[in-house]
Amino acid sequence: MNSIANVLARIPLFKLYRRFGWPKMLPLNLTLSPSPKCNSRCLTCNIWMKREDELRLDEWDKVLASLGRTPYWFTISGGEPLMYPHVVELAQLAYQHCRPGVINIPTNAILPTIPDRVERIARSCPESQLIINLSLDGVGEKHDVIRGIPGNFKKFEERLGQLLSLRRQLPNLTVGIHSVVSVFSVGHLDELIAYADQSGADQFITEIAEPRVELDTVGLPITPSAEDYTKAIDRLIAYVNSKQFTGMAKFTEALRIEYYKLVKRILDEKDQVIDCYAGWVSAQIYADGTVWPCCVRADNLGNLRNHDYDFKEIWFGEKIKEVRRSIAAKECHCPLANASYTNMLHDIPTLTRVSAKLLRRGSPSHHPAVPRLGPIAANDVHK
Amino acid sequence: MTFDWLDKFHHDMEKEPNYAEKTLAAYRLGMKAKGSIAGVVVQPATNCCDAARLLPAGKVYHPGEAPHLPLPDCPQGRRCGCVYRPVMTYARTDER
Repeated sequence: MNSIANVLARIPLFKLYRRFGWPKMLPLNLTLSPSPKCNSRCLTCNIWMKREDELRLDEWDKVLASLGRTPYWFTISGGEPLMYPHVVELAQLAYQHCRPGVINIPTNAILPTIPDRVERIARSCPESQLIINLSLDGVGEKHDVIRGIPGNFKKFEERLGQLLSLRRQLPNLTVGIHSVVSVFSVGHLDELIAYADQSGADQFITEIAEPRVELDTVGLPITPSAEDYTKAIDRLIAYVNSKQFTGMAKFTEALRIEYYKLVKRILDEKDQVIDCYAGWVSAQIYADGTVWPCCVRADNLGNLRNHDYDFKEIWFGEKIKEVRRSIAAKECHCPLANASYTNMLHDIPTLTRVSAKLLRRGSPSHHPAVPRLGPIAANDVHK
Repeated sequence: MTFDWLDKFHHDMEKEPNYAEKTLAAYRLGMKAKGSIAGVVVQPATNCCDAARLLPAGKVYHPGEAPHLPLPDCPQGRRCGCVYRPVMTYARTDER
């Protein structure tokens, strides 16, 4: 069973692995990008223009079999992942081979087929928590402008209602709202917070827009200034602090605030700030089978098609060593949420602050299976 | 700037053999599908070859007409540090 206790037990081993190269460990946190195709035209993303020789399902089957029951957290990304025609089967393969604790899927909420696909995934992966995060970058027309699709907000509301209805029947389904804080949206984050608060969604998470090789946004002016981001995110932190959380939500809410503070520090200090574990604990498999340590750098660590679909051949091979050296030497820094949350789990000062916060507020009184607004935020993607 | 390292990193990345074809095809599709891409610029490396140095600085090309990188006879081959950058309508400050 791939449990959170099992994840925590692996933290000291990953710390050893990063420092000494031993014991060899497969990643806990894996992002699968089966296709870059997307029906959004976001100002913050150019991935939708790309076309790839995509891995077939039988190829994904071999790749996922090679991972065994090591990944705890899968993100199925894109493009628009719920537009990928085999997304249900891909999630089922991940479940069958890896039994992850969490399968996380962001969506632009456009297609009417989304609720059916979500239901099929949730029902066929009963031991995994399925987190569906609906992208929302503005309320009303502001959303449509940023996402480049007239009528997108209306579809978002329709899909949110449908998924919240489904959630009542599916105990392993979490429905969240995810906002990208970019130069285009930083000025109306308050509106987004207020909207999310009354939406009925289980969680509201944000990620700063940052350039990525994956999205072909290197050099584009999409990231808000440190000053604008700080002003906006401090209000979100105040909002989260004003809420009462219990159980697991209390932990994830505290971790989320740590993430927002970490982003502020990264923007300010232009440094990794805490050790990055991308390439040790987290990784991404791109549509054509290329393995990356993360989507920001997108170093080509090798293509699974050239390694008999055996992830271990690439992960424990020679090419990755130089990339790990570069990351450990802090030749890069970024606020990528997906990697940052795993990084924070491996950072003792962060965990100490989170623990202190939990103790200050007293012990959890109960443990809801699905925490409501404000909890888990790890591993979102901004597309 | 916070992400200056990424710009340099991207320039230093070894190029795939089909870098020009694939990147320009993506931009052509982007323009055809009426995304916010307005064209493409070539951003030369600091140590670029003479031919790259002679390219008109900041010229915005239609993806179908942009020079293919690496330029012919570039001595650095796939290690050529020149890159394409999409020009977005919201980022465009002048018309060329």
